[in-house]
Amino acid sequence: MYRNLLGIGAVIAVALLLVGVTFSASKEQPADFVFLNGTEPKSLDPHVITGQPEGRIADSIFESLTYRDPKTLKPQPGSAERWEISPDKKTYTFHMRKEAKWSDGKPVTAHDFAWSWRRLQDPAVGSEYAYILHPIKWAEVFNLYSGHVERLVGPVREGKKTIVEALEALREANPNGVEPAAWQKFLGQQHANDVVKGSPDPVIQAALIERTNKVTAERIGRVAAAFRKEAERRRELFEYADKHFGVDAGVYAKDDHTLIVELNAPTPYFLELTAFYSSHPVPRHLIERLDKERKERGEDEGIEDWFLPENIVSNGPFRLKAWRVGDKIRMVKSETYWNKDSIRLNVIDALPIENYNTSLNVYLVGDADWNPNVPTAIMDTLKTRDDIQLSSGMIVYYYRFNTTRKPFNDKRVRKAVAMSVDRQLIIDEILKLGQTPAFRLTPPGLGDYDPPPDGIKYDPEGARKLLAEAGYPGGKGIPPLALLFNTSETHKTIAEEVAAQLKRELGIDIKPLNQEWQMYQASTLALEYDIARAGWIGDYLDPNTFLDMWITNGGNNQTGWSNALYDSLIAYAADVSKFVPDAETVIPKLKEQERTRELVKAFQQADDPAAKAAAGGELRMHLFREAETILFHDEFPVMPIYFYVTSNLVRHHVHGWYKNPQDIHLMRGIWIDRSKRAEDR
Amino acid sequence: MRGAAIVVATFAALVLIAIGLRVGWKEAGVFLVGGAFIASMLWYPPGLMRVVGSLLLAFFLYVFLQTIAGPAVGVVIALLIGALAWRFLPNRVHRRIGFMVPSMVLLIFTTTVLMYEAPGSPFAQEKQTTQQALEAQAKKFKIEEDAYSFFMTYMKGLLAEGTMGLAVKVQGRTVEQLLLPALPVSMSLGLLALVIAVVLGLVLGIRAGVRPNSWADYSSMGLAMVGISLPNFVIGACLLIFFSHKLQWLPVAGWGSYKHLILPAITLALPYAAYIARLARNGTIEVMQQDYIRTARAKGLSERVVVLKHALKGAILPVVSFLGPAAAGIFTGSFVIETLFAVPGMGQWFVKSALGRDYSVVLGTAIIYFTIITLFNLLVDFAYAWLDPRVREEL
Repeated sequence: MYRNLLGIGAVIAVALLLVGVTFSASKEQPADFVFLNGTEPKSLDPHVITGQPEGRIADSIFESLTYRDPKTLKPQPGSAERWEISPDKKTYTFHMRKEAKWSDGKPVTAHDFAWSWRRLQDPAVGSEYAYILHPIKWAEVFNLYSGHVERLVGPVREGKKTIVEALEALREANPNGVEPAAWQKFLGQQHANDVVKGSPDPVIQAALIERTNKVTAERIGRVAAAFRKEAERRRELFEYADKHFGVDAGVYAKDDHTLIVELNAPTPYFLELTAFYSSHPVPRHLIERLDKERKERGEDEGIEDWFLPENIVSNGPFRLKAWRVGDKIRMVKSETYWNKDSIRLNVIDALPIENYNTSLNVYLVGDADWNPNVPTAIMDTLKTRDDIQLSSGMIVYYYRFNTTRKPFNDKRVRKAVAMSVDRQLIIDEILKLGQTPAFRLTPPGLGDYDPPPDGIKYDPEGARKLLAEAGYPGGKGIPPLALLFNTSETHKTIAEEVAAQLKRELGIDIKPLNQEWQMYQASTLALEYDIARAGWIGDYLDPNTFLDMWITNGGNNQTGWSNALYDSLIAYAADVSKFVPDAETVIPKLKEQERTRELVKAFQQADDPAAKAAAGGELRMHLFREAETILFHDEFPVMPIYFYVTSNLVRHHVHGWYKNPQDIHLMRGIWIDRSKRAEDR
Repeated sequence: MRGAAIVVATFAALVLIAIGLRVGWKEAGVFLVGGAFIASMLWYPPGLMRVVGSLLLAFFLYVFLQTIAGPAVGVVIALLIGALAWRFLPNRVHRRIGFMVPSMVLLIFTTTVLMYEAPGSPFAQEKQTTQQALEAQAKKFKIEEDAYSFFMTYMKGLLAEGTMGLAVKVQGRTVEQLLLPALPVSMSLGLLALVIAVVLGLVLGIRAGVRPNSWADYSSMGLAMVGISLPNFVIGACLLIFFSHKLQWLPVAGWGSYKHLILPAITLALPYAAYIARLARNGTIEVMQQDYIRTARAKGLSERVVVLKHALKGAILPVVSFLGPAAAGIFTGSFVIETLFAVPGMGQWFVKSALGRDYSVVLGTAIIYFTIITLFNLLVDFAYAWLDPRVREEL
């Protein structure tokens, strides 16, 4: 009589049984230290990764020539036990630590580093952070020039045009020449600047910055010819680099224990770069063996999976034990690490939890010891906790102006807008962590850099005047605008506040516009916006990482802004010796002419290489200062809003964790006070 | 009838022209051929349908089998099962298969076209990188420049090598290596949630339906209303605050023991339970007015027997038809639940892969979801036949 009920009951029983079967409760040793990593790492190949969650793991399982001291961030000897720097600061000789070993027991040699750094630059690997080591001689040539040649003269994919072909098509279509605006647009679409940047050819140099005169058909022809010649030059250079880079030029092993690195120009932050995760060595013997095995199986283009736990060989203080996607990454202390006695953690778990509220829950109930992802919405409550660590960060939050569209094609309007945003109010009412208002891009504390004084302050009255001067009194004549931001509660709140302020102070009608991240990316890249939100994290402690992006048609510029003087200053800063011959023509256009002259003189008069390098370094910093003055006294292609404060929640029983502006926290220094742990939980 | 056909044909033609103009004529052509192939099956005589259905089934099985057993064995087993299907399966199932396999191909194509229409790429980064690095990565991960070529490469990989492509956002793994371990996690969570939802929903619904407009009815339906209206992240957060933070009985997040399963399963189950309760209530009210219930009562059966033996069957019919698609949804995981409780299930990949434009993973989730939902609909049909003799005749 209860047949159906029995049937249903049976189904339920079977279902629950299935749950039980598929659900294997794993009994694992609990970790000493658990942290919330924010997301699943994209990869653990140091030459592929680009983000903090990846970096935290890679920095634990690999070790480069140097590593950052957890407290001071000063470079410490890692795989290299010592090094010498030549007097002109352009050649580094690293002496490898003889006891440094891979986790399979093989020694870590200078050859491993030469091979790894060549792999980082290999165009076929496609590393996004290859540029980190571009200060090394021939690195950039090897990394990029073959691609430049392809873009200039081919071969290109079917149905695509090379730049030279596009130039010729442009010439044929416009027998009367093209207007300078159309010319710049053409160069932008072709990414021409990226491809011929640094060319010594005056025809190319002049063509790239042409924005006053009409470009005649004949001149387009000459530019095409110059591009062809440039392609030839780059092809030859690439062929040299291909043969020699990593073998006997740029970076190479003199013997197993000596690594020679030659730089293009003195690079004061180079030992920081050799600690960065992109410069970690990768296990050549393993990668080559797996490649060979794949080939033998007939999978010539299979997946690279050498960094998965079942394969990986690494040389850092920890090694990768397990990686369960969505669940955890487990690292354990490496028994082959040369300094294993200094490592006090045995087992570390990284949880890839993306949701900040979930992260906070896990931290609050005591299942994690470190949470770097603190939700901003309840910062008011959290910031009074005694386990929160706040530190000013090397990140700037700013808005881009689309300088190719009305009204922001007028720098007075851009400046007026920048002057009428009350940054302090945004910080006090929305962000609430005592962030620093930003009137420039370079955050405080960038090495020896002395930034220019602020060019503007919050001054709505002055802004109104400026706007009227530009022909838009009270905002009249300005079309309805949009303020683009990518999906995030904080971005939204700030955008609404800025829009309200602009409406109130300047009478500008601007609507916040939300787009999903990929769409927002596409819009800013295509210059389809009026104002767009952005942020920038410095890669290293040097102003270059914040300033070189604003050159004409630079990939990260995305404002359409272009300034010949600015471009040349950034180029001179990369190699100050080139500035000296041009000094007299450039100096009259600068703000601090006297100081510049003095520095040039000091540089010229320095007779020994060490003094020359020092004077050059000073001149270089000054050129950056002049460049940033152009940005934020005059031009305002972007409007900086604030410098970040990074926030971390760290349990009291965690020792050896130090807050710092780059928000780098290495596991190697961390230890747990077990007596306090019981209290904390 | 003819009028309707003309309307449908005109509409289809307009859509195709729109696709042709917006996306490309090659793509429109694929839609035309695929759509026509599926539509033409409506007119196949039963004999032809049997052949086409069995062949498509063999083809579908081959794609799965070759990865496990290799191509040669795969072909043999697939053809064998195809032959058995040709001989034994009822015609209605052949029609289902005939619809399912080409639909899946069309689904892959449509998804590909939509993905390529959305701005962005799997390699988009806030810091712009060189054209060259992008091209090198695209080559490594076989991301083609346009939808049509990507579709071709993808299908080639699927049919010839039995792989669903490479994941870009979690590298070193194929899509199947990424999704297949996540599926059982979602399924065990889903199964438990489904059991809770069905038991809770039926009890509440039948209790309410047996005595409509009584206190039992109002309280049950009030509870169901709450379950439907409250979004599950609110329910989940409330449960977390109470059971994890206050009482500290259950873990807040993660995966690894039975305790981790309880809160997410309840949170996932509640809205479904509420919906099932409403369906069951309506079903019960309808059934209770049937003549055979009156007969049963007239025979002097106790109310309990009347409800459990006679009414229950009728009452759960609407629930069963709801369970098909609901189970497919619940088994493939829920983004909200998995995010809130940090469960390493499959639901997160539906959203993450789409946001990250991880093309192959998007297609992987689509294929798995499609397969499961088709399978469950088929199961629902069989369950119906078992529960309702009137349907059995049609099958």
